[in-house]
Amino acid sequence: MPSESHRDEDIFESQYIDKYLSEYASVSSIVREALPFELIATVGGVVAGIILSGMTDELGMIPGLLVIYPGVLGLRGNISSTLGSRLGSAIHLGLITDLDRHNPELMNNISGSLILSVITAFILGILGHFATLALGFESVGVFKLTLICVISAFTSGLILSFVATLLAIGMFRFGFDPDNVVTPSIATIGDIVSMLMLFLSAKLVVMF
Amino acid sequence: MRKTGRQTPYYTINGIIQRGLPVLIVTCVMGIVVGQILNSREKSLISMPAILILIPSLIKIGGDTGSMLGARLSSAFHMGLGDNIRSNPVVHNSVIAAAIVGFVSSISVSILVFMASSFLGFGMPYLTLLKISLIAVIIELAVVYSATVAIAFISHRFGIDPDDTVIPFIASLGDLVGVTGIFVALYLLNIL
Repeated sequence: MPSESHRDEDIFESQYIDKYLSEYASVSSIVREALPFELIATVGGVVAGIILSGMTDELGMIPGLLVIYPGVLGLRGNISSTLGSRLGSAIHLGLITDLDRHNPELMNNISGSLILSVITAFILGILGHFATLALGFESVGVFKLTLICVISAFTSGLILSFVATLLAIGMFRFGFDPDNVVTPSIATIGDIVSMLMLFLSAKLVVMF
Repeated sequence: MRKTGRQTPYYTINGIIQRGLPVLIVTCVMGIVVGQILNSREKSLISMPAILILIPSLIKIGGDTGSMLGARLSSAFHMGLGDNIRSNPVVHNSVIAAAIVGFVSSISVSILVFMASSFLGFGMPYLTLLKISLIAVIIELAVVYSATVAIAFISHRFGIDPDDTVIPFIASLGDLVGVTGIFVALYLLNIL
């Protein structure tokens, strides 16, 4: 008798897993959930591309700018998306409830990701300059290239940290799960903001 | 509440930097490689602004859908659903779904870039943009998805959490393969 009921349980469990799997992993359900986000993200990418295509003067004037552009954009995506997902976890844990400048959890998250941005931007600028020279291309100079990297990384980091914090706390207040909203929106806004900041800091450095 | 304020916070600046920096340095190096590929054809790129609009959005598709695939595979492993690579519905269906999302987005990118570039006055024939997008996306998705499945399975086998390894790496790999795919497409179509 015990073995009989055990078998029933097994059958029930495998049926449950099959049913769960067919819902969790059906092609149409994945496409339905992922496609809208990806389509919005491509709109952000196209806006970033329009800014890039408007930078042709700067790209010609600052040799080496094209080398650091994928790095700066990738950096932004990685740092700000992880910030957004950490903020989501912290809100779920109840560590962050409010936009409070004296909350160490919030301030450590923001300053940690800003410090990370500046360190990596510094490495990116130096690496970009010397890799360009090593391949026999022209570069505007290690100081100017690093300066462009650091200024654009810091300013876009500041803007995006602010947006991510507001979004995470605001979305939670309105009853949304910040994990579902913050990371995709930061990925989309991040491209536009960091491309714009790269453009502005290139203009600024060229002026001097 | 006052008491928790005095304890060591859960998130420390040092912890965030120590966990983030190694991955970021790797992605930094890959970003520079992508930049050098672009830089080697800088003159022709500057003369074709429509391609400049196309690049950021097209290279994102592989990284985005690949990250989604990686996250799904890693959740499946966490739930104990991923033991066999061949006959596994989660792996199969996730790859097919990610590919559908990738293709539909690449078609939408080609339409958006066509509209934006004709609006800005340096339009390219729509069919050319569509061909470039589709060739680049086929190359990108094939390489990125194979890498994603491989990395997810290998890190699962060696007991590393796939969440930590797959996603940052796949996003940069998507940029790298995406730019290569766009250049291959431009060569095949005799544009470059």
